[in-house]
Amino acid sequence: MRRDLLDILCCPVCKGALILTVTEENADEILEGSLRCEACSVSYPICEGIPNLLPKSPAED
Amino acid sequence: MPDMDDQVYQPEADTFLLLRAAEREVRPHDRVLEVGTGSGRVAAGLTKAADSVVATDINPYAVLAARSCGVETVRCDLAAGLAGPFDLIVFNPPYLPTSPEERIDDWLEYALDGGPDGRWVIERFIRDLGRILSPYGRVLLLVSTLTGLDAVREIFAAHGFVSFIVDEEPLEGERLYVLRATRDFCRINATG
Repeated sequence: MRRDLLDILCCPVCKGALILTVTEENADEILEGSLRCEACSVSYPICEGIPNLLPKSPAED
Repeated sequence: MPDMDDQVYQPEADTFLLLRAAEREVRPHDRVLEVGTGSGRVAAGLTKAADSVVATDINPYAVLAARSCGVETVRCDLAAGLAGPFDLIVFNPPYLPTSPEERIDDWLEYALDGGPDGRWVIERFIRDLGRILSPYGRVLLLVSTLTGLDAVREIFAAHGFVSFIVDEEPLEGERLYVLRATRDFCRINATG
């Protein structure tokens, strides 16, 4: 995902803002990392450049 | 990993009808969202025409397929993980009426199964539109006679949108339509 995609993403559950953590990126985009919703205490993974915003329960986190 | 083509809805007549309508509709400065992109064919076809194109799918194979077409892709249920706003939202929904006995539990099922009346996913999509569509945003939705054109237009109306047919094409045993929907500013107070 490109970094500016973050502006239009939200938590799939509470629709709040997400906090981006990057573990791997190249010149164009973020390849690995996570998107965390503090309100829900859930982190959503970014794998191979694709954010996965399917809801999960805090227990799975 | 199963063969991707078996798990992702491949471009068909409905795909190309929606793409044709979207190419006519899209403007250079549109922020475009394709919901349920599948192969990514429609979103990829719009990337040169618009400043920003994002696509979603719930199917892990579909998001990989769309990304390999050069589309910015998010895995989520419909538009659940997106805040928007978007100026143009396009969706070729799962619209086949499907009874519980007919269901096959695989990823391709998500691309086809519209629930008992074919409108289950469409209704969820329309219900969430107000949250992500810009004030003068437009929506293009592919609908089949199997889904019930008037019933879908009624769902749009119930949620404060006005819709018109902008393209259509006969298929064997059904007819495909592209509905263009916008906020109904004449009724905005009535619908909240």
